[in-house]
Amino acid sequence: MKAEAEAEVKAEEENMTTATTSSSTSEDFNPCPICLGPFLQESYLDKCFHRFCYNCIRQWIKVVSGKRSCKFASVTCPLCKIENFSIIHGFDGSSFQQSYVTQDFENGFVLTKAHKYRLQSYYTEPGFLSDIFSVSRYWKSHKYLQPNHWLHSWLRREIQALMQEEDVDIVVHHIVGVINSFQTKSKREVQRKTPEAKSEEFRSLISDAARPFLAARTDRFVNEVELFLASGLTIEAYDAVYKQRLGWSAPRVTGESTEGELSEQRTTIPYLYIFDEDSDETD
Amino acid sequence: MELNHLVLQASRARLFKELKEVQREKVADPDIQLSCDDNNIFKWTALIKGPSETPFEGGVFQLAFAIPEQYPLQPPQVRFLTKIFHPNVHFKTGEICLDILKNAWSPAWTLQSVCRAIIALMAHPEPDSPLNCDSGNLLRSGDVRGYQSMARMYTRLAAMPKKG
Repeated sequence: MKAEAEAEVKAEEENMTTATTSSSTSEDFNPCPICLGPFLQESYLDKCFHRFCYNCIRQWIKVVSGKRSCKFASVTCPLCKIENFSIIHGFDGSSFQQSYVTQDFENGFVLTKAHKYRLQSYYTEPGFLSDIFSVSRYWKSHKYLQPNHWLHSWLRREIQALMQEEDVDIVVHHIVGVINSFQTKSKREVQRKTPEAKSEEFRSLISDAARPFLAARTDRFVNEVELFLASGLTIEAYDAVYKQRLGWSAPRVTGESTEGELSEQRTTIPYLYIFDEDSDETD
Repeated sequence: MELNHLVLQASRARLFKELKEVQREKVADPDIQLSCDDNNIFKWTALIKGPSETPFEGGVFQLAFAIPEQYPLQPPQVRFLTKIFHPNVHFKTGEICLDILKNAWSPAWTLQSVCRAIIALMAHPEPDSPLNCDSGNLLRSGDVRGYQSMARMYTRLAAMPKKG
């Protein structure tokens, strides 16, 4: 990113020293109003939809909020002075990221590829994987009475992606707590309820717990939690199946050697985890 | 350190772009002639024409721009080098009282559009926030004729080429 900006500057300086005559295309060239260069990481303000480079508008918000002693919830558009509350960026055709002005940009949380894949799954039809993982069997076979060791990590990543925040410990802790108490309560039940009733009970508990944080995405989130639990897979195995279905086809996408997790996925073949009745619950 | 360097690069890149644009637009805006110091991209000067139907008509005024390293996140510092009698311009230093050069600055302004704003200020003085109290008081007391004749006199003295 930084290298890119510097290269851009260098190219521009060379342009200047060679004094190239402006071509006809630059007549209708519409640059970022802040750097006057081409848009890098196109970003839009949420109310007026004026367009800037992500770094340009972020820098400007930093300058504006630095002038106030208290936290500043909005930024006026440099072009039209309309009050805006967030930046919409990273639009890739199906999903986008939204950064609120109040967020501490210095420690801004950047979504990893894994987060993006999770977000993308929220744009698929519900029942996207119902032919692979059977949710109803999960409830019928009382698998819900067993702990899932990967749930905590899975929830953490899922909520990070949905809230676009790194520190989601409180929310994860809250939801894990709700699931644990559901489990404990279910084990104590003398008379077993129908699988449908258990599923319904579970769904409404998670839904209530998550809704204050996830708002409109809550219902789908509940589906995804259920699906992950029903799969009985490790996160890596689950991702591999999911990505294959999304067409991300994990083993092929090895262009980014920086993403260590991808190389791990190649070695993980999806398998069905058999719940061990005697597994220790210290985890 | 690294960050300062980047900010500096960003402001330099933007100023180069403005320079390019100015060189292209030279014909487009006959009232403004912006140029940059040969050795320092952060020092610019502008020649602006006094707007017509004002006491500044016929005068050519020189502005000096000192551009901060954080530009365009910070506004440029602009002052009149040519003496001017105007309520919002300090008579001795040439300092300009204009909101967009202070709190109302936006990075979407360019040096060219700042010049346009200054021309607009020349035509529409704000006597209620004066830097030149004599000038402001004339307008505030309703002595438009007095203000205009003083301003015209200084335009002749300082902003017009000497004849003969």
